[in-house]
Amino acid sequence: MPPVERLHLDHVVQTVCALESVVLRSFGPEGGQVLFTRDTGQAMLSRSGARILTALRLEHPLARMVVECVLKHSTVTGDGSKTFILLLASLLRMIHKMACKEPNVSHTYTSRQTAEASTARHLADKILAFALEELDDLIGMGVIPYGCCLSWEDFTAKKHLSGPSNNDCVQKLLTSFFHSRLGRSHCDFISKLTYELLTHWKFKRDQPSLSLEFVNDNLDALHTPVSGFPISCSRLIEGQVIHRDFATPCPQTEQKAVKAAVFSGYLQPKLLNAGQVLQLGCGEQWMEENSKNNRSIVQFSAWTERSLKCVFANLQSLGVSVILSAVKQSAAVLSLAAQAEMCVVECVSEDELSLFAQLSGAKPVSDCWMVEPEHVATLTFCRPILLGAHRYVHVAFNDSEERVTVKPCSLVICGLGEGQTEQYTCAFRDAIRMLLSTWEPMGMTATTASKRTLQSTKSTSSHVDQIPNVPPFQQSGLQPGYVIPAGGTFEFLLHHALLQNGTSCSASDDIVTSGLAVSQLLANALLIVPRQIYSHSPRHFLQAQARFQTIIQNHSHPFSLVYKQEHSSIFGESAFPLEEDKLTKHRFTEADVSAKLFMSDSGLESVSCKYQLLLAVLQCLSSILHVDTVLHTHTALHTQSRRLANTSWEGTDDETED
Amino acid sequence: MSRLSKKSPSLCTDLPLDNADICKKLDLLRQLLRSCFGPTGRLKQVHNNIGGHVVTTSTSSVLLPAISSSQPFINLIKTSILNHVSRFSDCGLFAAILCLSLIEQAKQSGLRGNVAIRVNKHLLGLCTSYLLGEDCGCKVKLDFCSSQSLITLARSVISSKPACVLTEPETLHISRLAVQAFLLTVPCSSPGIVSLGKIVTVSVEGHGVLNSAVFPGVLLDMPDVFTVDKLENLPSDALRMVLFSASLAGDLSELGDGIIEVHPGVDTDSQILDQLLELGKQVVKDEVKLCVCQKVIHPVLQQYLRGHGIIVVERLGITLMEPLTQLTGAQPVATLHTTIPAKAYGRVRDLRIRTFGSKTMLHLHPPGDCAICTMILCHRNETMLNELKGVCQKTEHVLRLTLREPSALLGGGCTETHLAAYIRHKSMNEIQETVSALGCSQTECLLGVEGFCRSLEAVAAALEHDGGSSLMDLTHAHHWSHPADVLTEHMGDSLGSCGCGIVESSPNQKWTYLNSKYPQFSPAPLSEDASVQPHVLDSFTAKLNALQVAVETANLALDVRYLIQDVN
Repeated sequence: MPPVERLHLDHVVQTVCALESVVLRSFGPEGGQVLFTRDTGQAMLSRSGARILTALRLEHPLARMVVECVLKHSTVTGDGSKTFILLLASLLRMIHKMACKEPNVSHTYTSRQTAEASTARHLADKILAFALEELDDLIGMGVIPYGCCLSWEDFTAKKHLSGPSNNDCVQKLLTSFFHSRLGRSHCDFISKLTYELLTHWKFKRDQPSLSLEFVNDNLDALHTPVSGFPISCSRLIEGQVIHRDFATPCPQTEQKAVKAAVFSGYLQPKLLNAGQVLQLGCGEQWMEENSKNNRSIVQFSAWTERSLKCVFANLQSLGVSVILSAVKQSAAVLSLAAQAEMCVVECVSEDELSLFAQLSGAKPVSDCWMVEPEHVATLTFCRPILLGAHRYVHVAFNDSEERVTVKPCSLVICGLGEGQTEQYTCAFRDAIRMLLSTWEPMGMTATTASKRTLQSTKSTSSHVDQIPNVPPFQQSGLQPGYVIPAGGTFEFLLHHALLQNGTSCSASDDIVTSGLAVSQLLANALLIVPRQIYSHSPRHFLQAQARFQTIIQNHSHPFSLVYKQEHSSIFGESAFPLEEDKLTKHRFTEADVSAKLFMSDSGLESVSCKYQLLLAVLQCLSSILHVDTVLHTHTALHTQSRRLANTSWEGTDDETED
Repeated sequence: MSRLSKKSPSLCTDLPLDNADICKKLDLLRQLLRSCFGPTGRLKQVHNNIGGHVVTTSTSSVLLPAISSSQPFINLIKTSILNHVSRFSDCGLFAAILCLSLIEQAKQSGLRGNVAIRVNKHLLGLCTSYLLGEDCGCKVKLDFCSSQSLITLARSVISSKPACVLTEPETLHISRLAVQAFLLTVPCSSPGIVSLGKIVTVSVEGHGVLNSAVFPGVLLDMPDVFTVDKLENLPSDALRMVLFSASLAGDLSELGDGIIEVHPGVDTDSQILDQLLELGKQVVKDEVKLCVCQKVIHPVLQQYLRGHGIIVVERLGITLMEPLTQLTGAQPVATLHTTIPAKAYGRVRDLRIRTFGSKTMLHLHPPGDCAICTMILCHRNETMLNELKGVCQKTEHVLRLTLREPSALLGGGCTETHLAAYIRHKSMNEIQETVSALGCSQTECLLGVEGFCRSLEAVAAALEHDGGSSLMDLTHAHHWSHPADVLTEHMGDSLGSCGCGIVESSPNQKWTYLNSKYPQFSPAPLSEDASVQPHVLDSFTAKLNALQVAVETANLALDVRYLIQDVN
């Protein structure tokens, strides 16, 4: 019998609160960075919740389970990992308080603690069920009217209009994301850069998600980290940077069109492949493969050189002057290339070659005897570029017809050290993921998907299924891309909506008490987020709360319409969504200056990300409350995977893998 | 072969900047680096615990990698500075001292982390726009018509590294050589894209520094000089040469992974050697006078070539290949079975044997205008020679940076004090705008400005190591140092001139001690007097980046709220 550790509700609350205390240091506008070392000794900085939690290398199986849920969520949406822990801790505390107050007395339990655990589990399940059923409607009614919809056309149109507030929506969304990720000082700069990158990569007539996905997939090939420079040196450069240097003396040509070919294999034919045998005899010398008579070994190598010369003659006739190769070529190739005035770039990574092929429209050559014009790409230039310590190859592409709006460009990310550039790159990647999930098309299987996940929690839960990829917005008939001002707006509004819902529930008579309790509990738990945002001064929190109360009371629904008319008359066409702030200037003049300040530059956040986050938290909550015992099994270390089996109460098994 | 071991949980520290141990370590690092700064900086000896050789140095690029700390905080600062140094080669200590002072000042002021960061970032913006602006009072335009300002710049870099142990004339000699070598690498006549050449450095130990020299062209090591005896007979114009990049030792490398079975009686070696000799015959027939190979040449082939009066140089190494192709115009040959095309041959104008101490070298003169030159550096012992070599490379880099931005900053601490005075003045005048833009109170803002300016002044004061005091005049805000042992009634008599040497002391000047309160004033621009040239100049590009790196690193450090150390 392995050692058994019974998990009580207190333990769960303690564990999650310990995680919360770590994450809190980098949460909100007053939060800072977390410095951590890797096992290699490299110092890294981060404000990303997922990063911080993994760096902790936790031992407790429960904590690990929570961290795993956070990671699963943040890999999908790229955002919200700190809020995840905060909400989870807040919910747990509420449930704990409630369970202690009124342990369920309808059953007989062996101890008080099991009774508490059972109540808690019960509550968690109810909240989850409630959220899966009603949350989307609540958000649709209580939050969406105060937000605005970000359309991809804005994104396009903005290129033609010039004005200060044109690209505000997307940029503000990005700004608030980078604010939470990199701190206040650089968020404006980086969000502008990201926005520029995305506008450059916008495909005409395509779904926004397609071009976002393209950038997401190719980000490795599209960015170059450069350490030793301040971040403000980061920039976009035209074309593509191939992260290799020329293997031959590079061309001294001025900017002019060059032709390039991509090779995936060796140019010089290999005489012998592995397993083949070359016999050199004295009598009749012969070679097994081609049964050709040859005098000596020298003639074999002479043959390979001759064939190489033919390849080069062919390339020259096609006008190729740049060779990109996936592998390292022989000295003879380099020497012949130099004599033919071609330059060679060796060992180019697969990602970069495939991006190059996509952008240039040329196919990679697999058989070097068969180089056709379709394999030849025309480049506007191909020249060396010095970025930091390395010299790379910089190429730019001719404009082709299908790419009228796409201007290929790559990103140079500067930072003080490797750790910083990596941090910035991660933030970039997650920002794009966040945008992707903002614009995620609301699928038609949304409700069924969530039902399936609900079932899977009960039967064979593995944590992957528990995070819904598609939020079920579809009944409310909402389009993707809704955003809402950041700084706790979502939480305040949903809090209010939940409370209202609770009172309306209590009027009807079916599940009176618990329905009210559940939505109240959720509503109060949500307030932790704005409370922490204003943690440096509780006064600001109260003021903000009061302000939202006034807004909601004064305009319960037509508010946004009123606002939009009012606003557009002042600012022209731009639907600038930072309404509260501007409106309250009239009504709430006594509000603190700095609180307003924070509101005005806090930007926007995506409603769909928030919604997904909330569901993920609730699912995680119910799954951790289902665990009651940890079995410490002893497995010899050499087996491939150690498993910590957590047996749960009702015969359902949750497993956490390392 | 998967060997799983249990990962232990990480070590955590909350609010590391309030941690006494970490503060002590930061302070120690600051004092250590501060004592190395400038021409009179103290040297440090670095030696490891297993008795490796001792390095004497005061440069940040050697010193910082030697400081290994388990404290990630130290490593964060260290890597930032080292990355700066590897890009700009100069101002590493400046950045490190400024960064550490900024952290210390921010801590002393008791400002909230975020406020200090915002103020620092704002002030950095003021500094950079002032430095980049036209009316900057501490910037001088470099005059490429005379080499004087370039030599001054080079000398400032070289003299700030006392571990080279150079006397005054030696410093001047090396500075001149550095500038000469730099000028040789700038091609004279190529319109359009200019690509700079290369300086090949050869170090010779046990020779006086004044024997160091710079030659146009490339010098190749000739271990067996006796094989070259007919140099005088060679015509001195346009000698034909060939450059091989493949091995001529008779090995077969490009055959593949298969197995070769050799029947008895087949002499593969001699077949290959025959082929090599065929190649040799062509080289002789084409009247080649110099044969250079990156790798090894078969002794028989060597003998054959020498027998025909060809000078043979083997084992050149990959680093010299590129300079040599540029110098001679040869294309490296790697095909051994086909005839060498005529255009693959290169040309050399003249060949000379030169000896430096124990080294004998073959000097290849370029046939035409060529941006390749060789610098021979001599010094008395290995440690100093290594330091000197590093310093010369840095100087070359600093000089190259001037091509992008032909300006320099006043050295000797004058830029720092000037900048501090400017920032004080400017931010006082704009205090209202600043406060509303940064969203902090006026007191907070003033505290932040004071900390920033004090940090800048602390860097200037760090140049003083002999117990003297650092002063600043109240007109131009330049940096002056006052020796400790001189006592005169009037301060002006003992001061001479300011740190960069552009301002002479005059009786009606007023001074203030650094790090003391003084009324803020707008530093006066320098008089337009061309006859007075500054004696000390700092690289503009390097210092600007160092300033940015220092402030950004300090901001990062101030932003750290939590420390997680992986102890696996």
